[in-house]
Amino acid sequence: MTANDLKFTRRTLIAAASLAAVMPGAAFAQTKPYPDGTITFVCAFPAGSGADVLVRYFSEKVAQVAKQTVIVENKPGANGNIAAEYVSRAKPDGYTVYVHSGTSTAANMSLFKKPTIDVTKALRGVQFINKQPFMIAVAADSPIKDMKQLTEHLKGKSGEATYGSTATSGKVLAEVYLQLAGVSATEVAYKTGPDSLNDITSGQLDFAALDPVFALSQQREGRLRLLAVGSPQRMKSIPDVPAVKEFGYNVDQLGWWGVFVPAKTPDDVVMTLNGLFQKVLQAPETEAFLNKFGGDVYTGAPKDVDELLAKTVEEWRGYVALAKIPQN
Amino acid sequence: MEVFDHLATGFMAAGTLQNLFFCLIGTVLGTLIGVLPGIGPIPALAILLPITFGLDPLSSLIMLAGIYYGAQYGGSTTSILVNMPGEASSVVTCIEGHQMARKGRAGAALAIAALGSFFAGCVGTVFIAAFGPPLASIAQQFNSPDYFALMLLGLVMAIVLAHGSVLKAVAMVLIGLLLGLVGTDTNTGLTRYTFGLSGLWEGIDFLPLVLGLFGIVEIIRNLENPPPPRETISTRMRDLWPNKQEIKESIPAALRGTMLGSILGILPGGGAVLASFASYTLEKKITKTPRKFGHGAVEGVAGPESANNAAAQTSFIPLLTLGIPSNPIMAIMMGAMIIQGIQPGAAVMTTRPDLFWGMVASMWIGNLMLVVINLPMIGIWVKLLSVPYRLLYPAILLFCAIGVYSTSTEPFMMVLMIVFTVFGYVLFKLGCEPAPMVLGFILGPLMEENLRRSLVISRGDPMIFINRPISATLLVATVLMLCLIILPQFRRTREEAFQEE
Repeated sequence: MTANDLKFTRRTLIAAASLAAVMPGAAFAQTKPYPDGTITFVCAFPAGSGADVLVRYFSEKVAQVAKQTVIVENKPGANGNIAAEYVSRAKPDGYTVYVHSGTSTAANMSLFKKPTIDVTKALRGVQFINKQPFMIAVAADSPIKDMKQLTEHLKGKSGEATYGSTATSGKVLAEVYLQLAGVSATEVAYKTGPDSLNDITSGQLDFAALDPVFALSQQREGRLRLLAVGSPQRMKSIPDVPAVKEFGYNVDQLGWWGVFVPAKTPDDVVMTLNGLFQKVLQAPETEAFLNKFGGDVYTGAPKDVDELLAKTVEEWRGYVALAKIPQN
Repeated sequence: MEVFDHLATGFMAAGTLQNLFFCLIGTVLGTLIGVLPGIGPIPALAILLPITFGLDPLSSLIMLAGIYYGAQYGGSTTSILVNMPGEASSVVTCIEGHQMARKGRAGAALAIAALGSFFAGCVGTVFIAAFGPPLASIAQQFNSPDYFALMLLGLVMAIVLAHGSVLKAVAMVLIGLLLGLVGTDTNTGLTRYTFGLSGLWEGIDFLPLVLGLFGIVEIIRNLENPPPPRETISTRMRDLWPNKQEIKESIPAALRGTMLGSILGILPGGGAVLASFASYTLEKKITKTPRKFGHGAVEGVAGPESANNAAAQTSFIPLLTLGIPSNPIMAIMMGAMIIQGIQPGAAVMTTRPDLFWGMVASMWIGNLMLVVINLPMIGIWVKLLSVPYRLLYPAILLFCAIGVYSTSTEPFMMVLMIVFTVFGYVLFKLGCEPAPMVLGFILGPLMEENLRRSLVISRGDPMIFINRPISATLLVATVLMLCLIILPQFRRTREEAFQEE
């Protein structure tokens, strides 16, 4: 609040001062190049959640490179549908920007019987943020050391096993693996990673499919053993955890975050915004920040984002059917 | 002793001029946020988070922590003066605190809340320093069945909370449970009772519910039966301070509240909320003058206020020792630590002792600052009550509206607040109290989640609740509590108390 106010005052002062110095009394141009004004980042999570921290990090950094005020507006609810719909209806001028999980945006197309908007038509991709996988974990003192042993263990339990999952991505990762391995286990759903910790460490659950932030932090604390990541290859930031694929199960499930604007936003604005985010993403500080969230930095052109979004929408149609997730 | 060495390290780190300055900013900001009804600490912390990017890690954590307990503190001020709980843990403070204010003892209630909180804060700090790690390992023993049993015990306590008929209290708890069911079901991902309204997908928001039920209904009630024209409220120190009798009654209550709060604060989930409700229940149970409860019993302020402050402190234990945030505010603190390059967890204690102990020490310093800032302010707060209603009420309504709207910039939240105002008014007319309903609303979803998880894990075998020692003990306690309520003897005394009203 205060920082933004300060920045605003300082900028206005500088602007006023330079105007006064350079062209006293002159009328100034009607249209200035984008960005020229306050940019709003829409966050689909409530203020203070882990994802909100990520959006606020980018708001701070983009504000620095764009030399504009960037504010974060939280529009939580309906699995991100409220935020996505809000952005799709905003003025397509590049001042309303949706920073959100591309995976979740795409998944909503199949998690709902009647999606409120067609995300591939109503939104336009600008830039990627990161790629982050969900992870398969067991208690640190579990005798299970890798995915093969996990499969053996589950076979031994002949259907009596349980696994913990957080978020739909966790459930999908586990269900895809179980199907490929030809074993079964019953899902126990948790709202957040921390909720599931005691049930995992006490051995009540046979394994868990967890979000990377939680899984990595508890591995560091020595409470969990990470068996594998859901990405097709190992992550650059966590090279010692193998990919599920290395054990012969063809799992290719990688979550990604991206930047979106209303579909009708002009090309030049999209390109400028793409460049602003690119600058932030290239900073070593950003890489360190994203690595802490268990993801690798990921950049690309606007059309790559559109293509990946369309591809993810299709993939999730398959996942939702496979994991038998009921539609809303 | 090692603990003292550690605390010395902490005070050295937290006692620098810069850190004291940020502690002061945090506590003052927190108090302001707490006092304004409807503006809770969560959005405030989230908005301030980016500012801390440029600060030294310890300073930024000290400031954020200061906002948190400052807001806890400021929240009780509004609860006592105008019956507006800003967050769940101050709902209980409203019950007795506001009654005290109506009887002209607002100053005493505020002073007792302040001193009780300070005492609890001191104990909480020592508690973290001495027992943090071992206590954290106890919290780690709690599995889903144990949480279910704990929530059940909490709900039974909610019935004791009301001073009307048992039947009405049970009904209110059940309505609270039903309201808690609204939203997306964790197990299936399907939505329940949302009537196609996307604003209800994540469940009913706490703030519009509680502001509608308590705050706005209070305004309507006062408009309906205007309180007698207030005499000029005396702001002489002698009248503002609690009298001897009040102090004598509050000390043991504060002690018990601190104990309960310190322990319950460690448990993730509803720790601080459960603590203040539990303390109120305990005080009401053991008091020699039960008929004072509901009419401004000072123990009913001292106990819960100490309990929620102690719990606010000890809720840092799971974060600092296990890396597990126990409530949304701790999740923000965790985010702040991650941004600063610190991975919360037991490692912090050994790798960054100055940071860990500095934060613990700053909590004590912050609590001291709160008392020093707020005791002289009591006179001003009480004077606030002499602002004419025609100015005070619109101002309160405005702040409520701003607060509710700012949590998620959706007009739907306002509609929700209006709906709960109407509902709260009906309840008031029927003589039903909203406090048990709020507890049901908060604990219900947690109870359901843990019940279903336990049963999935045990493949549908309910013995899982009896086989585990923790849940078995808690269930026995629940049954005992129920017996107390059902026993005819007990019920008669309850109803006697009711007749007196």
